[in-house]
Amino acid sequence: MINVTDLRKSYGNHIALHGISFSIQQGEFYGLLGPNGAGKSTTIGIMSMLIAPDSGSISIHNHDILHHPVQCKQTIGVVPQEIALYNELSAVDNLLFWGGLYNVEKTTLKKRIDTTLQLFGLSDRANDKVKTYSGGMKRRINIAAALLHDPKVLFMDEPTVGIDPQSRNLIFEVVQKLHSEGMTIVYTTHYMEEAERFCDRIGIIDNGKIVAQGSLHELKSMGGNQEAVIITGNGISEAKAEKMRNAGFKVTTYENQLTFLSHNLKGDLSRIVLMCSEHGIDINDISIKHVNLETVFLSLTGKQLRD
Amino acid sequence: MFKIAAKDLKLFFADKRGMVLTFAVPIALITLFAFAFGGVGSSNEPDPLKLVIADLDKTETSKQLIAKLDSLEEFVVINATSDSAENLVIKGKKPAALFVLKGTGDSIRAGLMPAFELKYDQGQGPEVGILEGALIANLNKISGELLMNTMSTKMPPDSMMQFMPKQSNASNGVTIRETPLVKEKESPVGLIHAVAGTAIMMLLFSVTGMGSAMLEEKQEGTLKKLMMAPINPSSILFGKMISVNVISILQLIIMFIYGWMMFGLDILGHLPATFIMIVCTAFACSAFGVFLVSIAKSKAQVQGLSTLIILTMSAIGGSMIPSFTMPAFMQKLSIFSVNYWGIQGFYDVYWRELTLTDATFLTRVTVLIGIGLLLNFIAVLLFRRNVIALT
Repeated sequence: MINVTDLRKSYGNHIALHGISFSIQQGEFYGLLGPNGAGKSTTIGIMSMLIAPDSGSISIHNHDILHHPVQCKQTIGVVPQEIALYNELSAVDNLLFWGGLYNVEKTTLKKRIDTTLQLFGLSDRANDKVKTYSGGMKRRINIAAALLHDPKVLFMDEPTVGIDPQSRNLIFEVVQKLHSEGMTIVYTTHYMEEAERFCDRIGIIDNGKIVAQGSLHELKSMGGNQEAVIITGNGISEAKAEKMRNAGFKVTTYENQLTFLSHNLKGDLSRIVLMCSEHGIDINDISIKHVNLETVFLSLTGKQLRD
Repeated sequence: MFKIAAKDLKLFFADKRGMVLTFAVPIALITLFAFAFGGVGSSNEPDPLKLVIADLDKTETSKQLIAKLDSLEEFVVINATSDSAENLVIKGKKPAALFVLKGTGDSIRAGLMPAFELKYDQGQGPEVGILEGALIANLNKISGELLMNTMSTKMPPDSMMQFMPKQSNASNGVTIRETPLVKEKESPVGLIHAVAGTAIMMLLFSVTGMGSAMLEEKQEGTLKKLMMAPINPSSILFGKMISVNVISILQLIIMFIYGWMMFGLDILGHLPATFIMIVCTAFACSAFGVFLVSIAKSKAQVQGLSTLIILTMSAIGGSMIPSFTMPAFMQKLSIFSVNYWGIQGFYDVYWRELTLTDATFLTRVTVLIGIGLLLNFIAVLLFRRNVIALT
């Protein structure tokens, strides 16, 4: 249904995408997981025809987006990372405007607006100006605006950034409902919990490259099913981490944390603690993470998702 | 306290655009206003007055008189036929025209000081006054000289001396009959200037504000979302142009209705011409606002640029003071201002009462439409590069 082939994009000397390729099947929930600046938003931007690629191709429903942009735009809904609404207009007026751009017949549009507002729990605030909404409520309207023309594909670019738990849960419910109804969803996030929870398949993106993709199970296998030991303490530095790497450990630093990857946790744990002590690290806390997307990402890229 | 002050100063000097707005823009405006209002830039000698003369006498004497006037530093003579001289005044191109009446040569030859006619525009009182003052003194001198020359060729010096005191007309000087070609109307020229000048200047400020809503859309992400919709990117700009034009027309209509209700501006007597001028002025001003937004990269840049450009155009274009009271070189610059064409068009409607098909009125309308089309065209070209590219 969606085919992305050898997509490349540069901004001056900075290469944002190094020729990424992936395919998404109809009805699939595909996640693009990566840290900030990995190339997720650029990918979504190109797929939603906002950014022109340097080279490569994308087809949606067998239509090339460069040659048939209007048809392609009609079939997709885009939830941008920013809350793109008119604050001085009410929620209903915003939705009427955004839905109207997709030539939805007015009676149908009004019905869909009612349904969507109900779905997002905002019917009672429908006629209030958006500027009076909380951040979470605005995010919900931001998503609602992308659904009014009944798109076949929904692109969601980090839709839960910076919102309250109540709104997040509501968005999760709606996203799951849309997926269960057969909508194809492309979802970018740097929250691995969201990717693990919803995605049928996940593409891990870093430095403009897809470093791995597959189901959660497949990705865990690719990462070698390694577990992570996280040491929090004082005296941690990149120089010390480098010495530990030379000693054969797979280790990364982040603020006052060292993260070690291990296939044999029982055997390695005492060695890790001893080595930290030898390097003058004053350990405050040790935690162990079992195999998850974060440890997979770490093992594939040598970096943490939050880097 | 001092640390806070030092930090603020550091931030201020780090903001290059802010520095330009704080220092360079006021300096530029002071310079401009000094030229416009203070007569700075011209030498101490006043500029020669352009004097339109229609020679109805067409005698050797009248030609000599005109040649002598032309040889004076105070005047640059523009010879015209009777009709074209009147037209120049009626169309507002010159404040007055001097008519050398038939029989001028005969009068001088008869030892009488001649009579002239000054046909003028009542709306340009200050300029007419200056011209008339200079004319009286010089016409008296030149006519007296011609009269003396004529007498000296006709009679011996003794007889001439006896003759001269008898000419009571000569001692009284020349007669200048004043005929207003453009008379005081129901709408005084000051009122037309106040309403049109202010309305256009304020409209320019408000269209810039409306246009910069486009940059607001960019900053708030709605422009990106519009670009993702199945619409042509150019239609975003065209949609904005339509809304700015509609609001501009409404703004001008309300201002002129206010001028009518409060001060008696005669819009009811000139409804079609008023509407044409409002639409054309709104079109040109709206295009200016959209153009300004298309060349700027942020709302702050629009604000800085608009302050400078609008005040400049308003000063040279006659929104602040009538352009005919400015130095000659400033008057030449005024044609580069939207304000000038708009204000002159409204003068044509209410003061000169030109018809809709009059060439002068049509020229103003055409120039306004031309400005609008040109600026809109450039805006469309720049829009993709400066606005859409930055999304």
